[in-house]
Amino acid sequence: MSRFDKKGRSDVDPPSSVSYRDRAAYARDAQLASLASSGDDSAFTTLVTRFQPAVFRWALMFARDPDEAEDITQEVFVRTYREIGTYRSDGSLEAWLYRITRRAAIQMRRTRRRRDRLVLSPGAQPLRDVYTTDPGGRVDRERAASVIRELFSELPRRQREIFDLVDLQGFSPSEAAERTGMKPVSVRANLFKARKAIREGLLVTHPSYRELSR
Amino acid sequence: MTCEECLSELATGSLREMPSDSDVMLHCATCPDCSRLTTLLRDREYNAANVLNNLPPMSAPITVAETSVRTAHRRRVGRVVVMLSGAALVVTIWIAAATTIVPALRHADAGTGSDLRTETIPLRCLSPQQAADIVKPYVRSRGSTYYVPTSGISAITVRGNASEVAKSRNLIAVFEEDPAAACRNIPAMVRKAVEDQVSRDAAPVIAGQATTPPKK
Repeated sequence: MSRFDKKGRSDVDPPSSVSYRDRAAYARDAQLASLASSGDDSAFTTLVTRFQPAVFRWALMFARDPDEAEDITQEVFVRTYREIGTYRSDGSLEAWLYRITRRAAIQMRRTRRRRDRLVLSPGAQPLRDVYTTDPGGRVDRERAASVIRELFSELPRRQREIFDLVDLQGFSPSEAAERTGMKPVSVRANLFKARKAIREGLLVTHPSYRELSR
Repeated sequence: MTCEECLSELATGSLREMPSDSDVMLHCATCPDCSRLTTLLRDREYNAANVLNNLPPMSAPITVAETSVRTAHRRRVGRVVVMLSGAALVVTIWIAAATTIVPALRHADAGTGSDLRTETIPLRCLSPQQAADIVKPYVRSRGSTYYVPTSGISAITVRGNASEVAKSRNLIAVFEEDPAAACRNIPAMVRKAVEDQVSRDAAPVIAGQATTPPKK
């Protein structure tokens, strides 16, 4: 999924210009969605198995930590189950799921903010780090969380999302525009701002380049 | 290309869209500082992408799917319950309005208004002020009143609902026969003057006597 294994993906991606492989994938996804919408739970399970890693990966970009990303992922599939009947097979199922992920994440963030405002005492907050099993997984999660914080802590949500989609996941700006529902011009503007912020941050942590950039 | 130009390119450019024969890369090949920066940028983004891409979700897909189906069903049931509760609430409000509020409003309307009538009652013996004193306690509902004519006409006009007008009419009819009614209740001075006049007119007069005024 990263840009390092998606090189060569075309910038323009109308349905008529997609490769045979992509078309086959579209058809398979459409069939899966059709079966799931007709009440076939095994098809829905297949759909979840196929897209859960990608949805989790997207959710990581919107979440504060991997636990929250798990919650978002669960919510996305609840909505997918409810709304699968509205999926139109002329579009990519992946892009459709991305839009659901985005909506769910934004909504969960709003809900979380409201709840945070309601919580008066710090003692009322639940403990978050409750892993007692899989220490390796926990280390990975903490590492991912620190990467997210380190890279994106200063970025606004939209810039972070665009930077992740284009520079880390390897989508073209037009694909990112299609997924986020933004105009390609806005995508590029956000991308430039995000890159500038991230690379300036890097210069701050690297004194020799700071001198160089004067 | 200078280092400054290279840095400005690197500040917003895409690393994957910079081929090895681009100006930036050619500069980086000869400049150790810019080369290190480019490598650092690339490594950093690569590491971030790698960590994020290689982090699998903790939940098993089957569990996620089952939970999704269960939650979706529960929410659907919840929505139906909410809709039914809403409908029940609407029906309750409608029934309450139909049985209590609307009749109360109608009753209030009846009081205020539309079937008020006006009637002028002629007086034979009572003065208009006396008649007003009689009917005043009974003309009390909203919008009801009475009018006492100021031009000396012997009548009173009552405005009120049917029962108030009927009650006023009956009371006035009863008190028209009362001994203290205006036509029978003459003030004392007037009565004395009338009696004197009557007694004078009634005294015997001797023939041939001139009637002379009494000496003072």
